[in-house]
Amino acid sequence: MILGLMRRLGDRPAWMRWGLLAVGLAVAAILPWVLYPPVATDILCWGLFAVAFDLLLGHAGLLSFGHAAFWGGSAYVTGLIALHSGLPFYVAVLGGAVAAAVLALPIGYLAVRRSGIYFAMITLAFAQMVYFVANQWSAVTGGENGLQGIPRNLPGVDLSDAFTFYYAALPVVLLGLAAARRIVRSPFGRVTAAIRDNTDRVRALGYPADRYKLTVFTASAFLSGLAGGLFAVNHGFASLQEVDWTTSGKVVVMTVLGGIGTLWGSLVGAAAIVRLEDWLSTAGFEQTDLVTGGVFIVVVLLFRQGLWGTATRLLRPRPPAPPTPDPAEPADPDRTPHLTKR
Amino acid sequence: MKRRLTMGVAAAAVGTLLAACGAGGPGSGGGKISGGKLTLGVLTDLSGVYADLAGNGAVAAVQMAADDFQKKYGDKAVTKKIDVIKADHQNKPEVANTQAREMYERKGADALFDVPTSSAALAVQTVAAQQKKLYFNTGAATTELAGKSCNAYTYEWAYDSYMLAHGTGTQVTQQGGKNWYLIYPDYAFGQDMQAKFTPAIESAGGRVVAKDPTPFPSDNYSTFLLKAPTLNPKPDVLGALQAGGDLANVVKQYDQFKVKDKGVQLAIGLLFDSDIRAIGADKLAGTMFTTAWFWNLDDRSRAWAQRFQQRTGQLPTFDQAADYSAATAYLEAVQKAGTDKAESVSKVLNGMTFDDFFARNATVRTADHRVTHDAYLAKVKAPAQATQDGDYTELVRTIPAAQAFDKPSPDCHLG
Repeated sequence: MILGLMRRLGDRPAWMRWGLLAVGLAVAAILPWVLYPPVATDILCWGLFAVAFDLLLGHAGLLSFGHAAFWGGSAYVTGLIALHSGLPFYVAVLGGAVAAAVLALPIGYLAVRRSGIYFAMITLAFAQMVYFVANQWSAVTGGENGLQGIPRNLPGVDLSDAFTFYYAALPVVLLGLAAARRIVRSPFGRVTAAIRDNTDRVRALGYPADRYKLTVFTASAFLSGLAGGLFAVNHGFASLQEVDWTTSGKVVVMTVLGGIGTLWGSLVGAAAIVRLEDWLSTAGFEQTDLVTGGVFIVVVLLFRQGLWGTATRLLRPRPPAPPTPDPAEPADPDRTPHLTKR
Repeated sequence: MKRRLTMGVAAAAVGTLLAACGAGGPGSGGGKISGGKLTLGVLTDLSGVYADLAGNGAVAAVQMAADDFQKKYGDKAVTKKIDVIKADHQNKPEVANTQAREMYERKGADALFDVPTSSAALAVQTVAAQQKKLYFNTGAATTELAGKSCNAYTYEWAYDSYMLAHGTGTQVTQQGGKNWYLIYPDYAFGQDMQAKFTPAIESAGGRVVAKDPTPFPSDNYSTFLLKAPTLNPKPDVLGALQAGGDLANVVKQYDQFKVKDKGVQLAIGLLFDSDIRAIGADKLAGTMFTTAWFWNLDDRSRAWAQRFQQRTGQLPTFDQAADYSAATAYLEAVQKAGTDKAESVSKVLNGMTFDDFFARNATVRTADHRVTHDAYLAKVKAPAQATQDGDYTELVRTIPAAQAFDKPSPDCHLG
């Protein structure tokens, strides 16, 4: 009975989707009661970042290795706006996200002409340039010292308490997640999925594939920027770590851990990594990377579809029911085979 | 339609939550000593280039202060329970930011101590003000802590770049090292050192021929060492403003590349006993440096150093001695104030004059929370002159407290 019910989760009828949404919102609502509030906010930020990254990797088949440029670039811009203008932090974060999107245009314009490893290397190269600028332009970015003392401005509300700030940051993240879901389920999203699976055929059908790729790249950068800006405000700090290549690597790990192309899996992956790192560091364990690296290897070897992907596969009836095409409602993207061609 | 409904419900749910939870969160206790105990946090470098000059030795020094305080007051102590906790900031400002927040907020630290690495110290200073808890800096040298970035919750206990520059820079220039080539680590500490050394050298009649930032931390200084003798005019002095493990690398490579034989002397900005131990006193013999304290200064210092050595197996650096001094002063102030509330403790500390084994003729300046005390111009003893293992330092002259530190900065407004 229970197993049957759980199996039906995979099919996700309407009421089930509502249930999932309700569970998700409930978890988001109680998170800072269960966890140390700054860590809970970190989970939100990294979760949105990983989802934005999955938008590109899972739903357009583009593995960027330079997303730290957008996360970190936005962190700096957000910080500068908040420090020098005194505007509400929502405006600062939005400004940071817009800056990330603007930064993504030239990078994406050049990078989307290549795919696979070349795409990854080009994005990495640009991210390293951003790192260099952030390091050398110390009059603005603070160089090694970072941008310190970023305020949490919001007229009429005292956000100095991390607990309150979580609930102030939550709507931004939820809007970002809703936007990501909307993009994936839109006709536009179907085209990017088709580009992922067979770019040449999409071109033959008359779609300007590169323009689609550039658009999804920019959208991903914008959402990454939202996340990075919030992160900077949460910590009151933007540092070189935010534009470091290891940050680009971390988001790849989170997305792969959660399950490529599952969107919500990235949230789970991000939460798992942030929680694990926090738990290890408060336990006084120094070699955090060793453990997260080990977990990553195990997941990649044993659960190729990540935590979320594996969970939904196990809960799905076997053999998988043939997809019933519904002309009004496009098929659930979670059900499409993931990244058959990369 | 269905989708729009979903969004509507989601928005409504979030709105309700925001309203419901806005007033929640942890509050602060109303007792005299919050939580019934004092927690002293040591945020330091436990694994990197500054681990020897601060690190676990700094933790031991603070623990020693706590033990001595309890022994002194016994039942009359303001609290019977004093915890000492430690954390590693890896010399990174973003880690220091997170760890400081965590120590104050989650682990209940009443005050933080040490924090080598100026960029990390600046981050901790910001957190201290946000949390309204005290921070006693002993490890970081930047004058910005008591200048542009100063705040009412931070005290500078040991030394700063002004003290180092006006001791070493002035003295070496007056002795004939007119042309300088400065290399400095490219972060808050090095930038500030460079900015303080240059005017000190120039006002003593010298000249800075060239200056180069170096990566922090780094293992390889060959570029700069090979460049030094080729500069025009040729510098008399290579001013190495690195610290800790980085400094050890510079000096070892200075030796390997035989830069001294090419006529360029070495001057060092900041030298700890742990550095001399790592580099070797023979390589440094005769080198001039400025220090806030050294263990072989007099009987009072030696007595404390001996107790420290019994505890840790090593002789203390001036940073570790300053940690003890600061922790003791903090605990005494809490005892006097009868509470661990930062503002009340601050009131006891501000304007206080004292004289302990570390800080002589010391004053806690009210204007910028800089502790002024005597500093020492010293040189490294040749190993043959050392009376015992670890005896590295020969006093050249004492710099009186009034001259050792700069006037309070006009940029500092304690808020």
